Amino acid sequence: MSEPLYRVEGLRYSYGKHFDLDVPELVIEHGESLGIVGPNGSGKSTLLNLLAFIDAPDAGTIYFEGVPSGPESLEARRSVTMLLQVSYLLKRTVFENVAYGLRLRGEMQDASERVREALSWVGLSPDKFARRMWHELSGGEAQRVALASRLVLRPKVLVLDEPTASVDRQSSYLIKDAIDRCRRMFNTSLIIVSHDYLWLNTVTDKLVRMEEGRLVEYVAGNVIHGPWEETGERLFAKRLSDGQVIVSARGTSLQSSAILNPSTITVALEPPKNESALNILKGRILNMSDEVSTENVLVEVVVAQIHLNVRVTKSSAVRLQLVPGKEVWVVFKATSLQWI
Amino acid sequence: MDYIWQGLQQAAVLIFTLDPETYSAVITTLKVTFTSITLSVIIGVPLGFLLGYFNFPGKKQLRMVVDTLLAIPTVVVGLLVYAFISRRGPLGWTNLLYTVPGIAIAQVFLILPIVISLTATAIEGLDRRLRPTLRSLGAGRVQLALTSLHEARFAVLIAVITAYGRAISEVGIAMMIGGNIKWYTRTMTTAITLETGKGQFSMGIALGVILLLIVFLLNSALVLLRRRTT
Repeated sequence: MSEPLYRVEGLRYSYGKHFDLDVPELVIEHGESLGIVGPNGSGKSTLLNLLAFIDAPDAGTIYFEGVPSGPESLEARRSVTMLLQVSYLLKRTVFENVAYGLRLRGEMQDASERVREALSWVGLSPDKFARRMWHELSGGEAQRVALASRLVLRPKVLVLDEPTASVDRQSSYLIKDAIDRCRRMFNTSLIIVSHDYLWLNTVTDKLVRMEEGRLVEYVAGNVIHGPWEETGERLFAKRLSDGQVIVSARGTSLQSSAILNPSTITVALEPPKNESALNILKGRILNMSDEVSTENVLVEVVVAQIHLNVRVTKSSAVRLQLVPGKEVWVVFKATSLQWI
Repeated sequence: MDYIWQGLQQAAVLIFTLDPETYSAVITTLKVTFTSITLSVIIGVPLGFLLGYFNFPGKKQLRMVVDTLLAIPTVVVGLLVYAFISRRGPLGWTNLLYTVPGIAIAQVFLILPIVISLTATAIEGLDRRLRPTLRSLGAGRVQLALTSLHEARFAVLIAVITAYGRAISEVGIAMMIGGNIKWYTRTMTTAITLETGKGQFSMGIALGVILLLIVFLLNSALVLLRRRTT
C-alpha cells in the first residue's frame, strides 16, 4: 500500500493538430474520490479513457499500484472499470449484461447472487428486471444496469464519465447511493467527471479542473461571464434580466469573466441593513447538497438567470431553515469577484 | 385471360395433391440452396468479420472488389464455373457439371460476396461504445472479437437471409450448371422458365406461388430481425 493507486508522469495524448492532453503529474491515492470539472472539449473524457486503460497515451507513463500499466495490462484493466456517459448495454438480458464481466473473469460460481445484489444496489428489483431484454429499459434504468454491471465486479477503481447527464434526479440519487455503498464496502476509488457541481460535491472529496487539456488547481467558484458595463468609480456592472445588478471591482475587459468563491457569499432571509457589501441580490433556493470534503452545505440560488453556489455551514442552514424554493438574499462584496 | 385463370386452378391442384414433379423441383431447390448457404456462411462470415473488424493495408480496395462482386450477373458466374468444370476445363475431372453439388458450388460464388460484404458492414456498423464498454469490463482481445460478432448476430443473420434470397431466386446458374434435368437438377426457377416456354402455365404458377411463399417468409424474418438490430 506504500505506492499510490495511480501515479501519472508526463502523460500526453493528441487528437490531430487541434487538441493536446498534457498532464505532467497526477497522484491518486487508494480509496480517494476525485472529481474532475471543466468545460466541454477540455480533455476530461480523454483523461478518463487513459486512466481506465481503454486508450494508450502518446507519451508518458501511468503507474497503477506502482506498476507501469496500459491497455495491454489485463490485470490493471480488470481492476478499473468505467461507466460511459451514455452507457451501452449488450443485446442480452439484464442478468447477462450484469454477469458479463464475471463471465470474463471466470467467476460465475456465485454469479446469480452477486447479480441480484448489484441490481438491488442500483435500486432495480432483481425479480422484475433480471430477465428483461436490453431494449425493454428506460434511459435511467439502462444507465443503472450498466452501473450494476460495474459494481458487481467490486472494482478497485470506478471511473464515471458524466454518470448523471442522461438520467433524471431520482436516478442520479440512486447512482450516488450505489457509488457510496461500493466505496464503503470495497474501498473503491472513484474518478468522476460531471457538470453537475452539486452532485459531484456529494460524492467526491477532491476536485480538479481541466482547461484545454491541462489539469489546473480547482478554485471552487461561480463563473460570471461578461459583458459588463462601466459604472462610476472603478466599477463594472452586470445587469441581470430582472433588473438587479452585480457590481464588481473594475476588470481587464468588459467581456471578461469573473469567479466568485462560494465561501465569500452569505445568505440572509431579509436584505441586510448597514451592509458594506455592494451586492445584495434577491434569489430563490433551487437545490441543496452536503459537501463531503468540507462538511458544509452547498446551496444553489437562482438570481435572475444566474445560478450561484453558496457555501454555508450546516448550523447556518438549520438556523435559517434553508429549503429549496425559499426566497433568500445573497450578499457579497464587489472585491470578491476574481477576474479570469 | 382464361388460360391464366385455368393455370391458377391447376396450380392449386398441383400444390394440394403434392404433385411429384412439382415437389421434385422444390426439393432440389432446397437441397441446392441449403448446401450453398451453409458453405457460404462457413466461409463468408469469418471472412466478413475479418474484413469489418480489422484495419489493414489494402482494406478499402478489397472492400471495393467484394462490393463489386455483389452485382455479378448469375450467367457470368455460370459461364465461369462452366468453363472450369466442363469436361475440357481444368476441374473437369470432378464431374460436377449437371449435378446438384455443381449448382450449389457455383451458387457459393454468387452469394459469398453478399455474406462477406454484409457481415463486414454489420461489424463496421457496431455501436462505437461497444469496444470501450467491453474493454472497461475487462475483455481480452479474443473475448472482444467474439462478443463483437455476437453483438452483430442479428445483422449477420440479415446478411445470410439476403444471400439465401438471392440463391433461391436465381436461374442462370441452375440452368447452365444444372442443365435443368427433370427429376434430378431441375429447380423451381428453371422449371418455371421451361414450363412457361412450353406454354404450360399451371406448374409454373404452382412453383411461382411456392417460391413467393418462401421469399415472403424470408422477408418476414428480415423485418423481425431489423427491429432487433435497432
